[in-house]
Amino acid sequence: MDFDLSAAQKKRYAEILRESGTRLGEHRPDGDPDAVRRGFRTAAGIGVTGLCLPEEFGGGGLGALDTALGLEAFGRGCPDTGLAFGVAAHLLACAVPVRDFATDDVRGPLLKGLASGELIAANAMTEDEAGSDIGRLGVTARPVSDGYLLNGEKSWASNAPVAGLVVTYACTAPELGFLGLSAFAVPGDLPGVSFGPPLRKMGLTNCLAGRVTFTDCHVPRRYLLGAEGQGSGIFQHSMAWERAALFGVYLGLMERQLAQCVEHAGRRRQFGRRIGEFQAVSHRMAVMKQRLESGRLLLYRACWLLDEGREDKSAIALAKATVSEAAVANGLDAMQLFGGLGYLADSGVEEQLRDSLPARVFSGTTEIQREIVAKELGL
Amino acid sequence: MAQDEITERISAFIRDRFLDGDPQGELEETTPLLELGVLNSLNTVLLLAHIREELGVAVPSLRINPSDLKNVRSITAMVRELQHSAV
Ligand SMILES: Cc1cc2nc3c(=O)[nH]c(=O)nc-3n(C[C@H](O)[C@H](O)[C@H](O)COP(=O)(O)OP(=O)(O)OC[C@H]3O[C@@H](n4cnc5c(N)ncnc54)[C@H](O)[C@@H]3O)c2cc1C
Repeated sequence: MDFDLSAAQKKRYAEILRESGTRLGEHRPDGDPDAVRRGFRTAAGIGVTGLCLPEEFGGGGLGALDTALGLEAFGRGCPDTGLAFGVAAHLLACAVPVRDFATDDVRGPLLKGLASGELIAANAMTEDEAGSDIGRLGVTARPVSDGYLLNGEKSWASNAPVAGLVVTYACTAPELGFLGLSAFAVPGDLPGVSFGPPLRKMGLTNCLAGRVTFTDCHVPRRYLLGAEGQGSGIFQHSMAWERAALFGVYLGLMERQLAQCVEHAGRRRQFGRRIGEFQAVSHRMAVMKQRLESGRLLLYRACWLLDEGREDKSAIALAKATVSEAAVANGLDAMQLFGGLGYLADSGVEEQLRDSLPARVFSGTTEIQREIVAKELGL
Repeated sequence: MAQDEITERISAFIRDRFLDGDPQGELEETTPLLELGVLNSLNTVLLLAHIREELGVAVPSLRINPSDLKNVRSITAMVRELQHSAV
């Protein structure tokens, strides 16, 4: 067993960290769609929009572990976690299924656009009545000549308001229960696709999210991902990548945050000494470090297993739950360490907490991850 | 392992865990598990974990599809096939 990163991994990490810090370090999220599009292009310039896409289409050709490392460096250098999350969701929940399941007719051009950051993708699974349980989708796809007719509404798709491509899932065979789904990569400009306004939310400001509605939307067959009825397996595959690698962004956030806390505790003086000398303060940071490192080990291992072709649902679920819970707990600790300053918007500390809270919900809630772990234990 | 034994073990697990023991003895080899909602996404994780632990067969995620998981008969056929391809 070797816990060291290779020289190439360290070099790539350092480059992404440096470039994201230089180009996006001062980025102030304001939810402006044009700024988000520019952010995607900058991210593409740093190479993160295509980390795990084939090199022939402009990607980095990396596996899951290297992708997670790249996202970690990006999340650490770029304090705009909404942008980092949006880029990671674009890559893992959308470009990965296109990479692995799109038809030859559309795969190359789509991957090229996705890797370059010119084509932004949104993943639309969730519906008003289908959140944790995606067994009965209301969005349907009816086979018609040369394709499918999609109807229904998706209630939450990150990136949707700026998306040129929607990876979505629809019911093609209600009699097959949760396996009656098919997956599609739907160009956003097809007639019958409409996007709602950006949803108002608590954080991840520069990841614009919205509803997506399909009204008699004719999707040509070449945009079907995999075979009809394979949607559930494709979704699980994309979620394996997302749950394992996306949370690298949060490892990066926690790294940056902990460094800020250490710096603050070493500088701020009360009662005649640096607050870091109070054990109540220093131990808080020791626990923050412990959460970060536990999450890191689980996440690297989950990605490594994925790269080995061993899809270990339990390892992935443990990593996802641990990193997201750690991000929230560390976010609360950082607020406390910064005192009143932490509550001020300009400190960036309260923003880190707001950006971390949804991590326990998206990509499958903590409770669902624990259900998966329990089922894998045979319970 | 013989086909009958695999069928029996899988049926027994489904009866016990998903059908409250199946007191009326309704489960058959061709009972449509997906259509009846006996298998949902979380139950399937449990069934596949059982197949892995008890029958030593790891089912890859792309085999989680309607033709392989339709009923006890198709699941048995998939397990047999994967057992043979593993040796
Ligand atoms: C920032 C953000 C980004 C998102 N981006 C996307 C996106 O890009 N695409 C997309 O499709 N969706 C997206 N979502 C939606 C997200 O996937 C869902 O919110 C999530 O799956 C939970 O579904 P729900 O909100 O309907 O909650 P529910 O399923 O209604 O759950 C409510 C509560 O009940 C609990 N619960 C439910 N079932 C069980 C169970 N069996 N056992 C124990 N507890 C249970 C849950 O854990 C949760 O605490 C995003 C959400 C957020 C917050």
